[in-house]
Amino acid sequence: MALKQTVAIIGATGNMGSVIAKSLANGPYRLLLMAKDTVKLQQLYEDVHAIANEVEQEIIACPKDACWEADLIIFAVPYSAEAEIAEKIKQYTTGKVVVSISNPMDKTFSKLLTSSCKSAAEELQDRLPYSKVIKAFNTTFAANFEHPVIDGKQVDAFIAGDDEEALGIVSNLVKTVGFNPIIAGDLSVSRILESMQLLLVQLGLRYNYNWLAGWKVLHK
Amino acid sequence: MFEVLFQNVKDKISLTSDEEELAKTLFIPKKLKKKQYLLQQDDVCKYLTIVEKGVLRSYTVDDAGTEHILQLALEGHWVTDMYSFLSQEPAIYNIDAVEDSELLLITNRSLDELYEKIPKFERFFRLLGQKNILSLQRRLTGSLSFTAEDKYLQLTKNFPDLLNRVPQHMIASYLGITRETLSRIKKNLLKDH
Repeated sequence: MALKQTVAIIGATGNMGSVIAKSLANGPYRLLLMAKDTVKLQQLYEDVHAIANEVEQEIIACPKDACWEADLIIFAVPYSAEAEIAEKIKQYTTGKVVVSISNPMDKTFSKLLTSSCKSAAEELQDRLPYSKVIKAFNTTFAANFEHPVIDGKQVDAFIAGDDEEALGIVSNLVKTVGFNPIIAGDLSVSRILESMQLLLVQLGLRYNYNWLAGWKVLHK
Repeated sequence: MFEVLFQNVKDKISLTSDEEELAKTLFIPKKLKKKQYLLQQDDVCKYLTIVEKGVLRSYTVDDAGTEHILQLALEGHWVTDMYSFLSQEPAIYNIDAVEDSELLLITNRSLDELYEKIPKFERFFRLLGQKNILSLQRRLTGSLSFTAEDKYLQLTKNFPDLLNRVPQHMIASYLGITRETLSRIKKNLLKDH
């Protein structure tokens, strides 16, 4: 049996963090759930346990300790908190895969908060220069994790990054969750992926998709 | 986090502070809880590891399920499945943590980068390799020709710290003797003193 990877979810009690944790419960991973709210964190721990009672998981209050122990880090904190937390974990991320899931949108979902020439993922890579940042899970809504198949079609989940091995590792993570992984390109492609999700949110509001919508590339 | 590594390095080569900073960007910091694996047999060994804090062991498991410990690695010791690390073929050893441990890992690719950017590290690892061959020769000779008691005494002389930190069954496995033999030796030695 291959060695279980240790996955730290930073911001595990948020909308995305918690659905990612639950979706990975049955995968070949050991989970480190990190968040500030210890009550919510305990609840999440029990929810994950209820999904898979054999799961190896721990709750950790400190982002530094979680990242130090992890092989792979899912950075599931709000975009506005990224800079501060990145500074805390920086020296513990050397050589590790860090998944950027954020969509840096304003409150009214009218625009992106990043400049047009840089994505949130690239900003994170600048903040954690010796890690391998991979963009993933940003083109899928939290509700999709419970319903990775919509209208009979498996939702595509786009991935972008510069390191081949890290892209493969994150593809497996995406498959475990139940989506169809598509490697879209290098990390700069994150600009497109983040814009795509802004569009999907705007379409959802206009046509009332009720957050149950996803991307699917049709091809022969 | 890097204290033991740089102390280890300083014994053989001297680095400028810029070189230290550069080296820090190539080592992966990793914590391992007691009993967790760093490597499992049949996986490819991706890392050369130095123990900053704690104890690791490398070992094989025979068909009867008995563990045979090759190395007990304390602070400042390096551990890997060298064949697997160099060839990227499946490993024959398991490596796990005897205590909660803090480690620094380096991949083959980063090691090449380290040699390229700080050529002094070639010297460092040459000297480290010499030292390791020496201790392997000593251990092999001990294993082939020493009595169980001599093997135990050699271990207490070389690694006195180890005996208090590692369970007796692991000491016995490392020496290639049974647990019963080990406790008999210890009893006899107590009697003699």
